[in-house]
Amino acid sequence: MRPSLALLRTTTFRLALAQAGVVLVFVVALLVYVYFATIGQLVADSDILADQEYAALERAYAEGGIRRLNQEVVERAARQGPLLYVLAESNGAVITGDFQQLPAMPRDSVQRVDFSFETTDSEGVAQRSRARGQVGRLLNGPILLVARDLGDSAVITGRITRVLWTVAILGVILSVASGLIASWLASRRVEALASTARDVMAGDLKRRAPVRGEGDEFDELAEAMNAMLDRLERLMQVSRTAGDAIAHDLRSPLTRFRQKLESALEAPEHSGNDREALRKALEEADNLLDMFAAVLKLARVESNPNWRFERIDASDVLRELVEFYEPAAEEQGRTLRGEIAEGLKVNGEPGLFTQAVSNLVENALKYTPEGGRIELTAVRRPDGRIEIAVMDDGPGIPPADRDRVLERFVRLESARSSPGAGLGLSLVAAVARLHKGGLHLRDGLSNAQGGRGLGAALVLPAAA
Amino acid sequence: MRVLLVEDDADMAKNLRASLAADEHDVEVASDGEQGQAMAANGGYDVIVLDRMLPKKLGVSVVKELREQGVSTPVLILSALHDEDHRVEGLNAGANDYLGKPFSTRELLARVRALWHGRDRDVQTRLQVGDLEMDLLARTVKRGGKKLDLQPREFRLLEYLMRNAGQTVTRKMLLENVWDYHFDPQTNVIDVHISRLRSKIDRDFAQSLLHTVRGSGYRLEA
Repeated sequence: MRPSLALLRTTTFRLALAQAGVVLVFVVALLVYVYFATIGQLVADSDILADQEYAALERAYAEGGIRRLNQEVVERAARQGPLLYVLAESNGAVITGDFQQLPAMPRDSVQRVDFSFETTDSEGVAQRSRARGQVGRLLNGPILLVARDLGDSAVITGRITRVLWTVAILGVILSVASGLIASWLASRRVEALASTARDVMAGDLKRRAPVRGEGDEFDELAEAMNAMLDRLERLMQVSRTAGDAIAHDLRSPLTRFRQKLESALEAPEHSGNDREALRKALEEADNLLDMFAAVLKLARVESNPNWRFERIDASDVLRELVEFYEPAAEEQGRTLRGEIAEGLKVNGEPGLFTQAVSNLVENALKYTPEGGRIELTAVRRPDGRIEIAVMDDGPGIPPADRDRVLERFVRLESARSSPGAGLGLSLVAAVARLHKGGLHLRDGLSNAQGGRGLGAALVLPAAA
Repeated sequence: MRVLLVEDDADMAKNLRASLAADEHDVEVASDGEQGQAMAANGGYDVIVLDRMLPKKLGVSVVKELREQGVSTPVLILSALHDEDHRVEGLNAGANDYLGKPFSTRELLARVRALWHGRDRDVQTRLQVGDLEMDLLARTVKRGGKKLDLQPREFRLLEYLMRNAGQTVTRKMLLENVWDYHFDPQTNVIDVHISRLRSKIDRDFAQSLLHTVRGSGYRLEA
């Protein structure tokens, strides 16, 4: 599983986030609609009510003058209900009504008012309340105010608004959470497919993606991938067995050919020129045969037959290898130094293990110029694996080419002039894979050109 | 000496027979496993050269059954499959040496001679070649009475050369028997080891003991 932060980058999570956005927009729209559908309607209704009352009182004034109006206001104010009344003189002094003071002075003849006021509830506790209505000057100056107490509806409004916000926040949280869960589930399935692909690339051709049998799109993808891998494996097997069969079948005639050259060379009747030509031909035959042997060996390592693994004292084997190559290196004007930790043990095939490290040492000897340095180090890494590194101060390999040189027969342009078939590192990599390890190419020691030589690290699991 | 060659490839058998005959051996050829086993069991051979892949009976089974019958003639197995496990299998079955194809004729001849020569060498505790003496118990080497100071690996190298004194030993034989390495180093590693050993045993003496056999290997001889 990748770190959880990567979850936030997954497509499913982005989709979930978009979904959360849509939910948010929907809830806000709903909020606006509900507000206008409930509170807006309440206000509009109360406005109509207040307006009707105002008109009725205006009519009473027109019919019966100030005396009649006064009487009406006193009567109506005494009634239970949400409507509030105030009658005042033209200077604002209250004549009668629900308030001692006029909450608002009218500027024009009639205008809409919205104000808050002190009131006392049934238990005599003071409360602020809101009211909304109409205030205006009547003919000859008296001021009339009719308003509706919005107290109840304000409470309802508050409740509705709170509920809507709660719904909105819950909706967003839910969609983000469900998005995270969905993307976690999906990324787990995707990770299973990706890890299959990685294992196959690392050489485990037998690995297949898990199919859950739920028939969902991931199963479909896994099945398609497995079918592809089956086909790939078959093709590789065909091409490999064909190649190996060719190498094998060519070996017998080549061996006979070599034998004939050898006996021809032994015969006394040849002149010096013939002899030289025969010797060259024999050399070429040997090169070819070595190459076939290397191909076949590589094929046997890669096809993973039942190699007999045993516990190898790697420290011992490595020290002996350094001791084996050190005199030749010195003879060729190169220094080979070993720095090998004690007691390193690996489970492996002793012959292949020894050959793999020897290939790395020979590779370093081959590509290091005279006066060069080669270091073989072996340590137990903090992760418990054993790392055997051969580092040189030769020309090195550019990072871009490093993966390529591990493939069969690949030789860099710079190496064309030296002998070899380009199988040495391939064999090391194959041996590493057989031992559940890896071969990693990286920078080696600093070289005379100010660059870095090659460092080849064989990383293998330690034996228990 | 008398050599039994068991090889099914007629062309190969003809060439090998010619080479062995040229090295002054009496050679008889069997072309399949059963015939080879029957001829070997009737005895009289000094060395048996046995191909691994044979019709009727595999080389490994032939060796195993011969050993069970009490036939102790040294056996060299030739194989196209020169891999560790096959080599170990062949040696476990009772073969004395194992040579992967392709091999040079000289390699084969050197090994056939070494097999014959070294039949009962393991009981010795002292080796001597000219005025060079090796004490295998005290692990000391003297030449002309003067003690030589050898590294452990040089000691083993010299021991192998002394046990095969007078015989040509190839680089491959040294690699397999002294170092137990079963691959071909591409550099002249063995030559350098030999020249270091030579400087210790031959430098201060008028007579050279360690000779280079051009194109084949080395020979220790007084």
